[in-house]
Amino acid sequence: MVSKIAANKPNSYLLFNGDEAVARGALEANVKVAAAYPGTPSTEILEAIAGVAKQFGIYAEWSINEIVSMEVAVGASMAGVRSIVSMKHVGLNVASDAAMTLAYTGVVGGLVIAVCDDPAMHSSQNEQDTRYFAVHSNIPLLDAGSPQEAYEMTRDAFELSEKLQLPVIVRLTTRVAHGKARVQIREFQDLRRDAKFDKDGPKWVMVPQNALRQHRVLKGRLAEAARLVNASKFNVLEDNGKDVGIIGSGIGFYHAKSLLNPQQFSWLKLGFVYPFPRELVRKFASNLKKLIVVEELRPYVEDNLRGLDVEILGKNQLGLDEIGEFSPDGLRDAFAKLGFADPAQKPVCLDLPQRPPGLCPGCPHRAFYYALDTVNQFIKCDADKCSGCEICEYVCSAEKEHVFNPSKSRIRALRLNVLFNMAVTCRACIDAPCVKVCARDALSQSKENGVIIVDESKCDGCGWCIEACEYGAMTLHPVTRKVMVCDICGGEPACITECPESALTFAGRSDDKVVAGDIGCYTLGCLPPVSAVQTCLCMGAGISQAAGMVHAGVKDKAFAVIGDSTFFHGGMPGLLNIAYNKANVCVVVLDNRTVAMTGHQPTPESGKTAMGDDAKTVKIAAIAKSLGIDKVNVVDPYDIEQTRQLLRATMDFKGPSVIVVERPCPLKIEKGAVRQVQDSCNGCGVCVKAFGCPAISLTVERAEIDPTLCAGCGVCEQVCPFDAIRSIEQK
Amino acid sequence: MTLDLIFTGIGGQGVVVLSDIFCEAALLDGFDVAKAEIHGMAQRGGSISAHVRVGEKVLSPLIEQGKADVIVGFEVLETARALTMLKPQGTVIVNTKYIPPSGQLVGSTKPLTTEALLAIIQEGALKVHQVDGLALAGKLGNFMVVNTILLGAVSALPNMPLKEASFQEAIASRLKEKYIKLNLKAFQLGRENVLLV
Repeated sequence: MVSKIAANKPNSYLLFNGDEAVARGALEANVKVAAAYPGTPSTEILEAIAGVAKQFGIYAEWSINEIVSMEVAVGASMAGVRSIVSMKHVGLNVASDAAMTLAYTGVVGGLVIAVCDDPAMHSSQNEQDTRYFAVHSNIPLLDAGSPQEAYEMTRDAFELSEKLQLPVIVRLTTRVAHGKARVQIREFQDLRRDAKFDKDGPKWVMVPQNALRQHRVLKGRLAEAARLVNASKFNVLEDNGKDVGIIGSGIGFYHAKSLLNPQQFSWLKLGFVYPFPRELVRKFASNLKKLIVVEELRPYVEDNLRGLDVEILGKNQLGLDEIGEFSPDGLRDAFAKLGFADPAQKPVCLDLPQRPPGLCPGCPHRAFYYALDTVNQFIKCDADKCSGCEICEYVCSAEKEHVFNPSKSRIRALRLNVLFNMAVTCRACIDAPCVKVCARDALSQSKENGVIIVDESKCDGCGWCIEACEYGAMTLHPVTRKVMVCDICGGEPACITECPESALTFAGRSDDKVVAGDIGCYTLGCLPPVSAVQTCLCMGAGISQAAGMVHAGVKDKAFAVIGDSTFFHGGMPGLLNIAYNKANVCVVVLDNRTVAMTGHQPTPESGKTAMGDDAKTVKIAAIAKSLGIDKVNVVDPYDIEQTRQLLRATMDFKGPSVIVVERPCPLKIEKGAVRQVQDSCNGCGVCVKAFGCPAISLTVERAEIDPTLCAGCGVCEQVCPFDAIRSIEQK
Repeated sequence: MTLDLIFTGIGGQGVVVLSDIFCEAALLDGFDVAKAEIHGMAQRGGSISAHVRVGEKVLSPLIEQGKADVIVGFEVLETARALTMLKPQGTVIVNTKYIPPSGQLVGSTKPLTTEALLAIIQEGALKVHQVDGLALAGKLGNFMVVNTILLGAVSALPNMPLKEASFQEAIASRLKEKYIKLNLKAFQLGRENVLLV
């Protein structure tokens, strides 16, 4: 299959998404260097260029983060060739240090910054509006409302950039970037430029005296841009001689035009939006009584209409807000409010369960989170379900003492008040106070799962441990007068299976650890049943957030989970910082050898470049050591027991440490042996309720594994307390 | 002429690829086409749907509620969810496979069955073509072609403005050489499934 991007068929129509359209525009404009860090919905721009880079004599790279990619593009531009850097909106925050001053230095070769905003946050953590970054940085911005525009704008942006000697932002939104449409292409330009850096230009050295001068130069270039913008072909005026005009930018404008009768209004579609085309807008408004503004996110166009002698109908008047993206239905209702359209149909809403995204079958992240969740295993009671029936007490005494005698039970059903019942057993505390307080060394704690072990030959029934236990989990045996405590029955507790209210579950201790998260597939670990990830701010933030909590005095053991690519992107400074400032944080690098969330791009560890060449393989454990972390361990998350042991040792460790959790993304490798549920399954539901693999479903009697979904990782085999899951071959 | 379709299913089922092929076929027949879809997070087992609009000139890729001519459902729950998009006189093509969402596994949402969902779909649309994609794919010995079977079914709908040959050409241009023959067979099987009803 030949890449469509490279098709040499001028004037033909091709199906491109907005990202591919940007890539095609850049190819036609003879771009020489392209760099990016993957980020939805911008990823396919560099992917498309890299796919044909060698054929076109282009250098394309996945940089380790957005500011690096921008600096690479800037270097190329300084050398006189055309370059493009692409990123998602929040990536521009990372690159902003370079971008802000780049406006001062200006460019030589045309430099296009393609930025994809994500209204409605389909795959992002905020919905910032890049049009305001253009104002903030003084960088001209073209706002694409369709793939055709994304293509045209990118192609022309290089020329505009060279004319103004400024970088130019081409802004897309998710519905443009990931929407596909018919795009009419043109021919490839051939500029034949040699790269050469003019070393004498003091404009590159931004010491104050040069920067002051360049700031003035920038303002001059902007004034030139402000003149060009009024005649730009991307600002399309369609005067139908009507009293009511509609102005807007981005795809929202086309949603509106699509559902209204075009002949009923005059239209002004803005594409070149910064600097703002004041003259053109004034001319458009001069014949109108009313001017309706249609734009997603912030009221950028609307704010620029102040002072016009026309009634402005903006976000407030239309009842449209700055949050989320426009739907045609929402727009229809807005126009209906003004009497310009019939209201949207309101179909009967069916009450159907949602299907949120989750970790895939076989995902090593799930295996790790499960191990983390069960580091210290104990039996947890859901007080909302517990009826106080005491069946668990009878079951326990029968299991352990072969009698039905609640006074010999290791679990206690408590009636705390009329409405509140709860069963309590040992919580397997870290640094268990019962063990510390025992004067006769009769108590110890299992290194494997945190269970308290009683040496009955040493226990004299003094009862200090009973005093020390906050949970009331230790009791004296009524006959032997030795202390007794729940030992989780070797992982197969009968009380859980026999509880008539299903109030008892097998759980780990989430209340003595904080788990700061980061950005990637593993953020989905915030979802039940693992519910492990407690924060997600920005790339690389988790490590430092965890450190901040520790320095503030949080007593819980602090973990920071971060993916391999996120670690390379923004985690390394945070890691060096905790090594230097001695924060008691365990950094867990969930290393699946790829940028999974954005579609499996290579990383510095994968040994391949964006163009498919071999590369040096950089090991994360080696980086951690060289950044000053002494305690660095590597573990395979598919081995739950080993992972748990390592985590237990870490729980007791004071100081910065790193665990590299290594297992390739299952979507990238061949499936293992599919697992099957055996007849010995008793339907306890641990594999579904605690582990939560989407390939496993649960009926009343037993679990079932869907063979078309099972990835064959085999972790469920280790999770099942009854040895009821085997691979098909084993059967 | 305009034709608005919703392709819906679960991330990984091929909703994106199939709707791509549909768009390519529309392009071959000289139509304008626009499509909206979401990548990224939706890949991870979540709901996914693509809006496809075909016509002489298409401005916006998004379809209004209650305006879609056809829903192509890869899975019954997602198809039922998409019914709000369908015209009163619209058509549904549904693969009769139910994949319970993870919420249902943990017991936080009410249990549903394939039959209950199909009943909802039958009630919500004027014309419904049920396609047992897995069984048909089984005949060809490859479960991966369920989506191509559905495409065949779509292509055979009455009033479909796109030519059969355009679909076949679009399939051939999109797939790897070794899969083309199998998928063309699957396409034919899907066509017959609708034509023979």
